[in-house]
Amino acid sequence: MNVGVAHSEVNPNTQVMNSWGIWLAYIILVRLLHVVLLSIPFFSILVVWTLTNVIHNLAMYVFLHTVKGTPFETPNQGKPRLLTHWEQMDYGLQFTSSCKFLSISPIVLYLLASFYTKYAAHFLINTASLLSVLLPKLPQFHGVRLFGINKY
Amino acid sequence: MRPGPGGCCCRRPVRANGCVANGEVRNGYVRSSAAVAAAAAGQIHHVTQNGGLYKRPFNEAFEETPMLVAVLTYVGYGVLTLFGYLRDFLRHWRIEKCHHATERKEQQDFVSLYQDFENFYTRNLYMRIRDNWNRPICSVPGARVDIMERQSHDYNWSFKYTGNIIKGVINMGSYNYLGFARNTGSCQEAAAKVLEEYGVGVCSTRQEIGNLDKHEELEKLVASFLGVEAAMAYGMGFATNSMNIPALVGKGCLILSDELNHASLVLGARLSGATIRIFKHNNMQSLEKLLKDAIVYGQPRTRRPWKKILILVEGIYSMEGSIVRLPEVIALKKKYKAYLYLDEAHSIGALGPRGRGVVDYFGLDPEDVDVMMGTFTKSFGASGGYIGGKKELIDYLRTHSHSAVYATSLSPPVVEQIVTSMKCIMGQDGTTLGKECIQQLAENTKYFRRRLKEMGFIIYGNEDSPVVPLMLYMPAKIGAFGREMLKRNIGVVVVGFPATPIIESRARFCLSAAHTKEILDTALKEIDEVGDLLQLKYSRHRLVPLLDRPFDETTYEETED
Repeated sequence: MNVGVAHSEVNPNTQVMNSWGIWLAYIILVRLLHVVLLSIPFFSILVVWTLTNVIHNLAMYVFLHTVKGTPFETPNQGKPRLLTHWEQMDYGLQFTSSCKFLSISPIVLYLLASFYTKYAAHFLINTASLLSVLLPKLPQFHGVRLFGINKY
Repeated sequence: MRPGPGGCCCRRPVRANGCVANGEVRNGYVRSSAAVAAAAAGQIHHVTQNGGLYKRPFNEAFEETPMLVAVLTYVGYGVLTLFGYLRDFLRHWRIEKCHHATERKEQQDFVSLYQDFENFYTRNLYMRIRDNWNRPICSVPGARVDIMERQSHDYNWSFKYTGNIIKGVINMGSYNYLGFARNTGSCQEAAAKVLEEYGVGVCSTRQEIGNLDKHEELEKLVASFLGVEAAMAYGMGFATNSMNIPALVGKGCLILSDELNHASLVLGARLSGATIRIFKHNNMQSLEKLLKDAIVYGQPRTRRPWKKILILVEGIYSMEGSIVRLPEVIALKKKYKAYLYLDEAHSIGALGPRGRGVVDYFGLDPEDVDVMMGTFTKSFGASGGYIGGKKELIDYLRTHSHSAVYATSLSPPVVEQIVTSMKCIMGQDGTTLGKECIQQLAENTKYFRRRLKEMGFIIYGNEDSPVVPLMLYMPAKIGAFGREMLKRNIGVVVVGFPATPIIESRARFCLSAAHTKEILDTALKEIDEVGDLLQLKYSRHRLVPLLDRPFDETTYEETED
């Protein structure tokens, strides 16, 4: 089971987010998270929506913008070792459809959370977590590491 | 666009279906050329029966993954990843025993020696199902093989041999298309005689003192087998590709390579220094677009014309079981004046009515393929590779190929094995054994594929390809399938991510002429059972089982409803 033995795709990580299967799996998982949070008895609806938003954005930040490199050895001498998964997607090509999908889904979740919290409660928390997950997706932030955090 | 030299397929555009677009008879009735152009622009046909470039139907199918299966596969990989992180955390804090290599305490303040995340997949996913690969055998891997039984008490981190040998396991994993993987018979006797006469190894390169009369005999035989002017043989199949492509193309040339080409072709292309562009697998529109762009726009910044354009394709792609659309590739190559490099590693000996490979299968002229490459590993029961083509090309390769200058030549007993098996396939040894093997392989292929499709599995690839990938999709089923089949005395090869795309893990069966119908029936019965147990029958296009009894009056009554 080695990379690049039966195909010429150097880094399979770049193609993982491109199929509709994973988009569907992602949507189902977010809904599952929401349903699990709803079933905890002492959380109100406001808290549940904020928690869904925050946990989703935290998980997205960790898996797409913090973890670097590939979980397998690639035949290109470790070029993506310092790149996060978002930067590896489609070899750094901007505005592909999976990029757009993954940028729009936290916005949709934010709008739903704002609606259910009546645009008042937990506003700062929701907005801060949305910004933390939208800013790294901008093309201007490609490869940028603020204050040297997570550089190597 | 430069006009092509003559030949009907050059003057008129070649469509996706391989038919010449001249507005005449198509699908049995006459249409005007405007209607034909409009229809062809909107759809992609694969009609191949009405003459044109294909002389026989070309049936290839890659059924789409069912939606639920795709979602569950991703969820499965997600769960495995989360558990992987958990286990790594436990191992890091010494709660769980750590089996893999770690640095000593004195070295921990230095830059880390082992990149932990790069082995994440190996540690957490591959190790769990590692017992399905690299199983030690103790007999020749023919139609049946003996496997050494092994157990693991620490979840596959180490194995212990129980001392038992599982005898007579049906071997569906070896590349043994014509059944020459034997240690008895005429090939073995001839090779033993040559071993005593010539010795085991050559210990020298072709250009120094490693050129034996046996090598020249082999090369003449290979050339007559393929129908080309000359051929050259090398010691390793992988090295044939990776060392000869750099001799043929260099900087300033363009290589158009299929998406799913083997690592040896990819390595050879990268070592050559040429520009590589990849076209979608077996997709002639993609290839034509790349060719057009290459000729119209030339090299990237200088806009100079490319020195050479080389198209790299394989005869049978071993992971997908698909056969290259060779008539269309040759038509495109002639139209745009490119060169064609055909890697027949899996198709030589396995396809075609006379076993001469994919060129024979489509009934084409071997002179149309510029470089015919192949290996002796799969159908001839030997090792090594060859390149065949025009005499000038082979003479050039004899002096310029890296393998000829630096690598040792083929070992004489191996050469004798190839010569004997090739003569057997060609019928020159006086028996009809070769022809029977070719026919048996073709029958086995058709039967096996048909029965698997009737059972409801998703099978990829062409109907005539002896490589049969059966889709498993989910990561847990990879391990389960391999183990269940071994319990039932059948050895299969299972492949998963990252050697295949993430959702397309598969079990790959390689059929052989050495498999008799009884062996195949036993295997099919067990596959059926395991398929029901693991719920692998995903196909939504169930084939109606063919009626095996002769046609009589009662046949009509069954279909009257």
